Amino acid sequence: MTPSTSSLPNRVPRQRVLDILVRFQGYFGLLIVFVLGVIFSPSRDGVNLFVDLNNQMNILRYVSVTGIIAVGMTLVILTGEIDLSVGSLLAFVATLTAFLLTATSIGTLGSFVLILLAGALLGLVNGTVTTGLRIPSFVVTLAMMSFARGLARLLFGGVAITLLATSQGGNAPESAFFASQRVGVVPVPALLMFLVAILVGLLLRFTPFGRHVYAVGGNPLAARLSGIRVDFTKTVVFVLSGALTALAAYIQAIQLNQGAPNDGMAYELNAIAAVVIGGTSLQGGIGGIAGSIAGAWMLGMIDNVLNLNNVPSDVQLLIKGGLIVAAVALQRLQRRT
Amino acid sequence: MSLSHSVSPVSTPSFPVSEPPPGEMPPLLEMQGITKRFPGVTALERVSLKVRPGSVHALMGENGAGKSTLMKILTGVYRMDAGEVRLGGQLATLSDPRAAARHGVAIIHQELQQVPELRVFENFFLGREKRTALGVLDEARMRRESAQWLSTLGLTLDLERPLRELRVAERQFLEIAKALSLEARVLVMDEPTTALSGEEVARLFTVVRRLRDSGLAVIYISHRLEEIFALCDEVTVLRDGKWVASCPLGDLTPERLISLMVGRELTELYPSSNREPGAVRLKVQGLSVRGIPGRRALEGVSFEVRQGEIVGLAGLLGAGRTELLEALYGVRAPSQVRGSIEIAGVRHVPRSPRDAIRAGVGFVTEDRKGQSLVLTRSVGENTSLVGLGRFTRFGVLNLRAEKRAVQVLVGQLRVKTPSLATPVASLSGGNQQKVALGKFLLTSPGVFLLDEPTQGVDVGAKAEIYALIDTLAQGGAAVLLASSDMPELLSLCDRILVLCEGRLSGTLSRAEATGERILELATRFQSHRPLQSGPQGGQGGQGEQSHEPPSGPTQARPTPGDPV
Repeated sequence: MTPSTSSLPNRVPRQRVLDILVRFQGYFGLLIVFVLGVIFSPSRDGVNLFVDLNNQMNILRYVSVTGIIAVGMTLVILTGEIDLSVGSLLAFVATLTAFLLTATSIGTLGSFVLILLAGALLGLVNGTVTTGLRIPSFVVTLAMMSFARGLARLLFGGVAITLLATSQGGNAPESAFFASQRVGVVPVPALLMFLVAILVGLLLRFTPFGRHVYAVGGNPLAARLSGIRVDFTKTVVFVLSGALTALAAYIQAIQLNQGAPNDGMAYELNAIAAVVIGGTSLQGGIGGIAGSIAGAWMLGMIDNVLNLNNVPSDVQLLIKGGLIVAAVALQRLQRRT
Repeated sequence: MSLSHSVSPVSTPSFPVSEPPPGEMPPLLEMQGITKRFPGVTALERVSLKVRPGSVHALMGENGAGKSTLMKILTGVYRMDAGEVRLGGQLATLSDPRAAARHGVAIIHQELQQVPELRVFENFFLGREKRTALGVLDEARMRRESAQWLSTLGLTLDLERPLRELRVAERQFLEIAKALSLEARVLVMDEPTTALSGEEVARLFTVVRRLRDSGLAVIYISHRLEEIFALCDEVTVLRDGKWVASCPLGDLTPERLISLMVGRELTELYPSSNREPGAVRLKVQGLSVRGIPGRRALEGVSFEVRQGEIVGLAGLLGAGRTELLEALYGVRAPSQVRGSIEIAGVRHVPRSPRDAIRAGVGFVTEDRKGQSLVLTRSVGENTSLVGLGRFTRFGVLNLRAEKRAVQVLVGQLRVKTPSLATPVASLSGGNQQKVALGKFLLTSPGVFLLDEPTQGVDVGAKAEIYALIDTLAQGGAAVLLASSDMPELLSLCDRILVLCEGRLSGTLSRAEATGERILELATRFQSHRPLQSGPQGGQGGQGEQSHEPPSGPTQARPTPGDPV
């Protein structure tokens, strides 16, 4: 028996409860919000409007855009960086999507590939400027936030581009699949969100790259001295964030039948909120994808319940703010011991 | 009270210079029956500690023995569950750090709590800035007073320099002077020498002895036994949160002290191995590293390390030890490095640590928390971080194979951890260090660079790490070991390279090497002193004379020439 063993943590119930609470904080929040939603939901003809399957699927559809962005944002935050440009990036790509589908004839698949590349490219700019010039990503992506929106306005004339239905001469009938179709009861955008989340989750768990993401966020210096390409890892993460934002933009453009340079206002805040509520540390190195999806979902449910009750959107903002603080406070509480 | 505060800070210790013989002085600090429980763990159980004024009291114990907890109670960071603390015979309530400071308890931390960007005198008065009648900062007064307090320690520092430009030793002195200005009676020093060179340690000891002679009670925590025996008068040993022994240090041998701490006889700290050095594995020729503008951190260093050989790297802080290791490991950009490096006959020009790892080099940094470990991750993930490639096929990790290999490795290294999923941050220093070393083993490097591998590691773990280093060398690795720990260098290394001011000032074989010779070589080309005042380290004691403070009516200080 050596004394050093006694310094190992002897986890006590209270601490363990806190650990579990934080670890699955997103899910507990989700559950609580769901129960509250059921309780506070208005009913019509004896039907609970909130629980109604259609309503739930609408929530999912609504959540999918934020959710997909949040997946990329989680990666970025895990490496200890931040991406403030996603909202503007979405606006740029959504407008580009609408433009490609209306003004050109490259078709659904061609435009899909192109916009993913566009998103990845802008992400690459974020990543290389951040790592190459050693400028904090907060600043770089703040600049990109302005740049991408400006670019959208400049290139596409500052107005919304409307997508036409096929019946009205639109040229991308397959695109509708993204917006209105369902597989079973689940809307396609939601399926895409889950698919993306699972893929990225697997990437984090089962590849060296995933380990590197956590190591880089946890201790960049130790990561470098362990032979990890820190700058490369960070750049890849920004590229992924850009590409995922582009996917979200595509979905949104088709759902709304338009792409406009003013789209995606404050989406970065929603995504960051989802990530933080999901238990990922803004300092990097701690957290995961599943929590972010739960966080986004939870925010969507709250919006939905409040909407059903005709609560003004200003109040919704207040509630969202309170939630973010509560989520982070819970994490602090856990880590203090 | 040792210091009067009213008139001028220079009117220092009012204690009599000649103090009565030890036994007759009542303790200044009495901690009795101290018990502290954390949920699920009893960190301290009825622990006592008595410290007399005018003495340096060693607080010993392995990591996790309860030293830090006891000191946190003394400094008001933790509250005790049972027990009492008396200061100067008076019951003291140490409800928070401020209360502790009011009672005259001050601590010099391992990690100093200072603001690197602020200037020296600003740090000195941090949080208690002097103001003029108009409420504006009175910089002149702060400069004057901080200089005066420093001079009571026999020091001059450039007050205008931002703190980050100071050496660790200088920052510590600043903290000590600050504690004095806050009328400290009990001064706790927690591992103050980990980042100091031999010379700076000697300077620190001179200062500590001066404080002792002025009537302060000093509690000294260190893992370095030779320091304890050189400096301390009495010792209290803790083990597993319990009091084990308190006695004058003269009554103990180092071996006895270790066995008190460890609770068993430690047969041998150093492995007795008969290694047979083989072919040259690492060959360095004319290596220079650019340092801060205008200066070379390393200049024209050439040496070889053979297979199965442990070569020590000695030198004072700033001699270029770390720079040398960093150049070999690719931490320094190739543009900063000149000269040639060969590993097993192959030219080695690492552009990054990644290159170095591929060339078969492993590097254990001196700062394991800051540079070696990802504290947010588990023991398992930290251990496999460098060698992940071994478990990757088509870009996918084989988690089961990884776990199996890591499990074996952690077992071999004797890392004490409840599981692989345990956060590495919760391990003791020694076990963390084993992980920091072990993570390179999966790639079986042929060259190991170790920078202070046993810094802040307790005795038990130290012996294990030494055995591990020996095993590596026996397995044919070339080991380059930079250390400030003399016994470590002397007992573990086949040869010792001594650096001074970035140049190789000598190489000593195991037979030739002694502490004196190393120190002599380490100061050979010395052109400047790390601290502006004071003689060479002050070993011996006659160094005191030149510590005469530059100003102020200092009467009651220990007279120059006092035996130290």
